[in-house]
Amino acid sequence: MANAGLTSYIEKNSYFHKVNPLTKLLILICVIILSFTLKNFIYILALLVIIIPIAIKSKVLSMTFSPIFKLYFMFILLFFIQGFFHPYATEKLIDLPFGFTLWKDGLLYAAYIAARIFVMMVFGYWFVLTTHPGDLVSSLSRIGLPHALGYIILTTLQIIPRFRTQMQTIIDAQRSRGLETQGNLIQRLKSFVPLLGPLFMGSVQQAVEKSMALEARAFSAKGEKTSYRQATIKTKDKVIMVITVLFSISWEVLSWTL
Amino acid sequence: MDIVTFKDFSWRYAGYRGWTLSNINLSIKKGEFIGIIGKIGSGRTTFCSSMLGLIPHFYPGLMEGEIIVDGVNVEKTSISELSTRVGLAFQSPANQLTGAGTTIEEELAFGLQNLGIPYKEMHKKVRDMLKLIGLEHFGKRSPFELSGGQQQKVAIASVLIMNPKILVLDEPTSQLDPLGTEQVFDMVKKLSKKGITIIMSTNNINYLSKFADRIVLFDNKIVKVDTPDKILTDVELLREHALTHSDITEVSIRLKKMGLYNKELLVDFDDLKKVIEGLIK
Repeated sequence: MANAGLTSYIEKNSYFHKVNPLTKLLILICVIILSFTLKNFIYILALLVIIIPIAIKSKVLSMTFSPIFKLYFMFILLFFIQGFFHPYATEKLIDLPFGFTLWKDGLLYAAYIAARIFVMMVFGYWFVLTTHPGDLVSSLSRIGLPHALGYIILTTLQIIPRFRTQMQTIIDAQRSRGLETQGNLIQRLKSFVPLLGPLFMGSVQQAVEKSMALEARAFSAKGEKTSYRQATIKTKDKVIMVITVLFSISWEVLSWTL
Repeated sequence: MDIVTFKDFSWRYAGYRGWTLSNINLSIKKGEFIGIIGKIGSGRTTFCSSMLGLIPHFYPGLMEGEIIVDGVNVEKTSISELSTRVGLAFQSPANQLTGAGTTIEEELAFGLQNLGIPYKEMHKKVRDMLKLIGLEHFGKRSPFELSGGQQQKVAIASVLIMNPKILVLDEPTSQLDPLGTEQVFDMVKKLSKKGITIIMSTNNINYLSKFADRIVLFDNKIVKVDTPDKILTDVELLREHALTHSDITEVSIRLKKMGLYNKELLVDFDDLKKVIEGLIK
């Protein structure tokens, strides 16, 4: 696993890795707002045209789109459910046997939601790939994020991979005592139960130990805090920010006037 | 001048009947190197935790008496405040890592950030510290990727970097190989020479005999406080507390039995060398 799998961040020397996290966060926020407010899904999907060159310039193109392919089943399900069972459907597309009807507005609605999820995920994942969590938190704390909240964000970003390694340790421990973890679905589900206890108890225990480690390093000391990582806002950040805001507004206006 | 003073200190963990530590009276002078020995469960970790205030602030239990560390009363001072005076290296290094940093550098810098050390100074301190522990090529790695021994070094360094006046080490070499152990003890020796007060819990009698000014033997109370050559040669006493004497002492015992030597038992390598050289002549 790259970067020890602690976060999804990929260390690369690219133009967008050096862009201030706040700038990238602004892009992400604009994309999220746009994908909820644009008139139809074509306008939302069109945002992908922007992310492709950005992702290429960030040297993470294939990674940016990778989570989408893992979720293809969810998209199929979305189209299936909305296409056949959309509650407010009025326009028929095809009549199928056994009384099933494929609805046109159902499919359109599914496309709208799918486009939203798709675009937000791609931009979101690009953000995570190119932004060091430490930089993000240090920039956020400079614009007023409380110290403790910053720590929570940082550790949360690392919690899933750490959970995974902890889970593996417990699985190994239980297996060495004869727990069957392979076999059919029921067997595997059964073997899952004895893992949960240690996992949750362990997490609580760890939280206590972590708070001790934090206090031992003057975590709640009074006075000003400094940061080991420093991301400054440069001219290029300001330019990108202005472009992002201007583009978002005009795209929004365009989608509703055309 | 006393930098740490225990006055009739007793501690009982909530839910336990007996006192883990009772009637501890001890004064530690500034710059002194104190070795803590005792069997498992003799209250050594409790003793170490008390100077940073983890006891009584963090663990529930009953405390009697008082502890004064660098002029402040532990019971009335927060752990964060105490952490600028006392550095405690935990027994398990993984517990010392905060997870606040994704790399070793950031992990080391965490305490400095909290104290508001300026950017440039912080980077210099981190670089120097990495050099001191011999991990300068590992700075960009995740602390969770390291071996137990390397983690132990990072854990000690993370405490040391905050420049404490008192350094408390709880079994600092439990996960280290012989070379790593030597490196840690060398590092501690250097710090001790710089005037930092060291309190180290370890059962590595060979090292303690070389460096410690005084040894404290624990068994839920202080059994004995004395110089290394007095306490570490007391074979009976050590045996009573599940400890073994050093090979050097063993040699001097045998020399005595053979009638070749008739003074006090030895614990220091150089002393033994002199005796043997004398015998050869």
